[in-house]
Order: sequence, then structure tokens, then C-alpha cells
Amino acid sequence: MVDRNLILLELKNINKSFGNLHVLNDVSMTVVQGKVVAIIGPSGSGKTTLLRCVNALESIDSGEIVIENKRVNPKSRNVHELREKVGFIFQAFNLFAHLTTLENIMLAQRIVKKRSVKEARERAFSLLRKVGLEDKANYYPSQLSGGQQQRVAIARALAMDPKLLLMDEITSALDPELVSEVLDVVIQLAKDGMTMIIVTHEMGFARNVASRIIFMDNGRIIEQGEPNKIFNNPEQERTRDFLNKVLNHK
Amino acid sequence: MKLDTSIYLLDWLFILKGAGITLFLCLNAMVFGSILGLIIGTMRTSKLSILKYISGAYIYIIRGTPLLMQLFLVYYGLPVFFRIIVSAYTTALVGLTVYAAAYLAEIVKAGLQSVDKGQKDAAKALGMTSWQEFRSIVLPQALKVIVPPAFGFFIALIKDSSLVAIIGFIELTRSSRMVISRTYQPFTIYLGVAVIYFVICYGLSIISQKYFKANRQDIPKASQPWKTVAIKVS
Ligand SMILES: Nc1ncnc2c1ncn2[C@@H]1O[C@H](COP(=O)(O)OP(=O)(O)OP(=O)(O)O)[C@@H](O)[C@H]1O
Ligand SMILES: [Mg+2]
Repeated sequence: MVDRNLILLELKNINKSFGNLHVLNDVSMTVVQGKVVAIIGPSGSGKTTLLRCVNALESIDSGEIVIENKRVNPKSRNVHELREKVGFIFQAFNLFAHLTTLENIMLAQRIVKKRSVKEARERAFSLLRKVGLEDKANYYPSQLSGGQQQRVAIARALAMDPKLLLMDEITSALDPELVSEVLDVVIQLAKDGMTMIIVTHEMGFARNVASRIIFMDNGRIIEQGEPNKIFNNPEQERTRDFLNKVLNHK
Repeated sequence: MKLDTSIYLLDWLFILKGAGITLFLCLNAMVFGSILGLIIGTMRTSKLSILKYISGAYIYIIRGTPLLMQLFLVYYGLPVFFRIIVSAYTTALVGLTVYAAAYLAEIVKAGLQSVDKGQKDAAKALGMTSWQEFRSIVLPQALKVIVPPAFGFFIALIKDSSLVAIIGFIELTRSSRMVISRTYQPFTIYLGVAVIYFVICYGLSIISQKYFKANRQDIPKASQPWKTVAIKVS
């Protein structure tokens, strides 16, 4: 087992239902500092819900979320603390439609982190440089391509100096030719040592970037392990079925 | 003694002054009505059911009764229930504000609900408080949806406000009736008054169109819902 101090996030027996639908069933996992975890699984298996629970965008029915050895109490004020530590990149980008790229990246820095205009601006520009969009600072989201919007969304999340980034199928709303420009940014982040949980349907990408793969089905974690093991030698029948389906269709 | 029934310039000036008062009254009713409407409309989208029901009841009661009845109730009710004698202007203002708030609340509610849930998720995910999310993300986007129909309501309110003449407040309609009672030339005067109402309302609708044009460029196509939202007022 890994050193406990290196564990950034720990989920213990998370359960979540929407009405009668048991979407997360006793889900437990740990995320180690500086590592990338990829979650794969069929549609409706609860991947998005799991990420949303980690960030308290969705409440959990039972279980525990521990981040940096601190238990998150979803009812209390520390959800804001949690969300400052955990960034979320959405499938639909969700850039603020009424704000420019620069304003999108500056807003939360200003009002949540209370940074000065100058500081927030400098940080925004350095991040825009990092994602290769410095020249788009004054564009509105509607004037950007999907790939550009998603890179801005990544910059916006990074501006909050998160300890952990959650990415929910961040390329699945993109035209195929725009996918790689976004994935390249993620790969760079992984190299820089950013801790991430990535939900993805891009198996090749998951394999390359993640140090751990989690396969979910029907609200349960069916199997998890190193990419080589999961992709070459899955233990579970269901994992094999799923991988056969997705890999053969590519 | 021979009656002088000709219409003098002074009569028209008197009527124009009434038009100014009508505008002033409606502008004030709009300001107070917007503040109240924003609060009630926000309550309407609240998760707390008590706030939802109170605001809902307000909206349905006001929208379900004639403005004239509301004006009478304010006119006769204020002195009885609050033991205050108020001027005709205050009565008219309170009446129109109460009326406007209910309609504007519905417009506000629709505007708030038009904001994509993803925008709120993104605000939360960045650590914003509910108030910051409302103030910096939801409201600015909702306003773009709210302002056009609210402006349309304002135009309708100017026409509806002619009813306050009945409780004795001297605005455009009332002042024209006073001129008529001396000159006995209702057709000419009412025609003139109709033209004045038209010029005001048409002028305002031109302003509102200009406003949307000026605002349109920087707004993404996907979030221009007013193009599809039916502008329904009164
Ligand atoms: N807000 C909600 N209310 C009710 N049911 C929901 C809600 N959100 C998700 N669900 C249901 O929960 C289940 C899991 O959904 P979730 O979005 O987590 O799956 P997913 O693994 O992310 O799927 P996909 O690969 O299609 O994105 C689905 O059956 C979905 O219909
Ligand atoms: Mg999903």
C-alpha cells in the first residue's frame, strides 16, 4: 500500500441514489498525490455522478469523502473549501457565456481567492500561454471553437490552484480533429504532476496518461489496476466484455 | 355669458404636462416594481417551498384580478387599514407598483430559469458562494432575457396607467378629460391624447429595439433566448 500521507483523496463506501435508482453502490477508491486515475465504463454506469459527488455538486447518501485527511461535510461551509481545492472540467465546457476568456479566468480568482486585478490578470495570461490561447483573451466563448473553449475551461480551473482536477469526458463534445489539442494539454498537466481523475471514452488516452484505471458498471467499481493489467489481462468478465466492445469499434 | 369652447395652446400644454406625469409615474412604478419583481421572481425559483408559495400566491392574485380593482383597494384600503391619508399620486404609485411587480416577477422567473444549469455548476465548482453565483453568473445572464419583455411590459403599463385617472390622479387621461369638460370637444382632444400615448409607446419601443441591437454583438447565439421566448406581457 501507498504511504497514507501521499493519499490526496479517499472515497469510502459512497452510496448515491436518484429516487429508486441506485447510481453509486459502495464506491471506494483512493487517489494518490501526483497520479492520474482514469475511470472507464459504459454509459449510465455512474461515472459523472461519482465526479460530481467528489466536488459536492451532488450530495451523497452515505459514505465518506476525505481530502488531504480532512473529511468533507457536504452540509457545512467547507464545501467551498473543498471546491477551491478541486477543479472540475465539464463535458460541455460551461464557460461563462457573458464573460470574455480573460474574465472567465479572472472572476473566481477575484471573488473567491480575493486576488488583486493585477495578480489575477497575470495568472490568467500565464495560463492562457500555457494552453496556447493568449491571443484569444478578449473573445467571448461563442467566438471560440469547442477545443479552444475547453482549453480556456482548463485554464480557468487551474487559476484556482487546485490540488485535484476532475475531468468528465472533456473531449466527447468535440469534433474529432479538435480532440488532440485538448488531450495534449492534459498530457502536459500529467507530466507536470497534476493529480487528476479523468472520465473518458478515449481508451488509448486513458492507457497513456493514467497510472490507474477504474472500470465501473452499474454504479459499482468492478475492477481497478494498472493500465496494462486492465487492458491486457482484465480479471472480470464484464471488464473484458466492455473493452471488447469499445476497442473493436474503434 | 357665452361659453368659450375653443382649444387653446395652453390646453395642449396642460395635456402634455399630464403626459409627463404619466411617464414619471410609470417610470417610478417600474423602478419599484422591478425591485419588488426581482425579489418575488427570485423567491419563485427558490428551493424553499414557503418562499415559492408566498411569491406564487402574490403573482396569481395580482394577475388574476383587474388593475382597476387593485387601484380601488389601495385607494380605499390604505386609509382604512393603515390609517393614513395618502395623496392620489402615492395611491397610483402603490397600485401600479404592486401590479407591475407581479408581472415583472414572472418575467424575472423565466429569465432566471433560462440560465443553463451548467453555468451554475461551473460557478459552484470554482468555489463561489450561492450569492456570488447569483450575483456574478446567473443574474447578468438572466437580465439579458429579462430586459426585453420587461421593457415591453413598461410600454403596456403606460397604456394601463390611464386607469389611475379614475381615482383622481391628474395624469394624461385625466388632464384631457378636464380640458374636454370645458371645451366639449372630446373627439379632437382624445385623438390628440391617443397620438401622445402612441408617440410615447412607439418611441420607447424604438429605444428598446436599439438596446437589443447594441447588446446583441457580444452575446453568443446560443444564449439569445429572447429570440425564442415569447414576449408575453399583460
Ligand atoms: N440528476 C439526476 N436525476 C436523476 N437521475 C440521474 C441524474 N443524473 C444522472 N442520473 C442517472 O444516473 C445514472 C448514472 O448517470 P451518470 O451520468 O453518472 O452516468 P455516466 O457513467 O456518466 O454515463 P455517460 O457515459 O453516458 O456520461 C444514469 O442512469 C442517469 O440517468
Ligand atoms: Mg457522464
